[in-house]
Amino acid sequence: MEIKQTALAGTLESSDIQVTISQGNHGIEIDLDSSVEKLYGKQIRKVIIETIQAYGIENAKVKAVDKGALDCVIKARVMTAVQRALGTSDEPNWEVL
Amino acid sequence: MKVNQINLQIPRYYRKWQQFLLKQGITGFADAELSAIDRTYIWTNEQREVIATGSLAGNVLKYVAIEPQYQAQGTMFNQVISYLVNQAAALNRFHLFVFTKPQYVKSFEYVGFHCLAQTETGAILENGTPDIHDYLNQLPHVADGKKVAAIVANANPFTKGHRYLIEQASQENDAVYVFVVSQDVSLFTFDERFKLVKEGTQDLENVMVVPGKEYMVSYATFPAYFLKDDQNVGRYQAQLDAELFKRQIAQPLGITTRYLGSEPYSKTTDVYNEELKQVLPPEVKVKIIQRAQTADDEIITATKVRQAIRDNDLQTIRRLVVPTTLKYIEQHMNELKERMNSNGN
Repeated sequence: MEIKQTALAGTLESSDIQVTISQGNHGIEIDLDSSVEKLYGKQIRKVIIETIQAYGIENAKVKAVDKGALDCVIKARVMTAVQRALGTSDEPNWEVL
Repeated sequence: MKVNQINLQIPRYYRKWQQFLLKQGITGFADAELSAIDRTYIWTNEQREVIATGSLAGNVLKYVAIEPQYQAQGTMFNQVISYLVNQAAALNRFHLFVFTKPQYVKSFEYVGFHCLAQTETGAILENGTPDIHDYLNQLPHVADGKKVAAIVANANPFTKGHRYLIEQASQENDAVYVFVVSQDVSLFTFDERFKLVKEGTQDLENVMVVPGKEYMVSYATFPAYFLKDDQNVGRYQAQLDAELFKRQIAQPLGITTRYLGSEPYSKTTDVYNEELKQVLPPEVKVKIIQRAQTADDEIITATKVRQAIRDNDLQTIRRLVVPTTLKYIEQHMNELKERMNSNGN
């Protein structure tokens, strides 16, 4: 699958994460901005990459502004952003869950 | 707490909104700033008092203000910015800018914005994609060790004067970037201006004509509503533009000289050139080239060309522009005049 249009999900409020996904050419590139990057940066990136890969997407640019989101929130926001980017918001991919 | 979109065309909403902003110390309400706004939101508390507001003007966030008692820990700020970013995304705008005071740079960086340039009076930040790195990656790059120069031109339209300036730079350097201002506030559209510059410099092999995108911000369109009236707006805008050029454009592209045309007529442009000379050196040299003149000592400017179009004076146009531009004007004379009549420039 390929990302054609840019999409965004999430907010910048505490315990949330704002994820923007757009077209990329060099694998899944993540630009992470997090106040807990030192502690959880690795884990946040892992969750983002795994969620995106579950859709069979190989190339994407991800910008994530994290405000201390839990893994389940990160996953939910990434899923929403991906589905919006693919234009499939009304047919959720249950298998990714 | 509730958030609503309001229509500023309706006087009572406008008054309410303006009163709130005045209370927060924002005093600039020039028509040019207001007419660019296409979405305005207000947040109200249980007593239906306005506690925050923010607007979108194309891809620029404007008039963001929050009642001080709700500013604690920045939660309200994050909420307002999130909301604006989400609304912009819904309108397919993913690349956003904000112009603000230096003391708010940190707050915007905290919500994912990236500072492009900062001076004592103001700062410009961007967010989203495609960003400055994507922009720079798209441009042709010159090998290290070459002598690289840059020219920024609106070229409305491309004249013999522009040609002369570019020729000078082309002779004195290994490579020349010509950035064409992308903002569409001129008689000739960006596509037309870009095409004419490209055609008019085709024979100069070391010249690269590229779009300036949002990064060659024309000094005429910098928002400055958050500055006090007594602050010198023109100077602030020029400084910010120069700073942006120096740090984000010249440095990564290896540009060491910026060429400017001397400015005998326009005071604003003169101030602008002065500021460039202040900010750019020593990293980027500023070279001012005397304006080109026609055979009978007439100074060439694009303003004169536009006046001649208005007057249907092909004789003058022929004296001032290069053949490619002349051809284009001849073919589109009526259309251009119509545009002049409809928007007054």
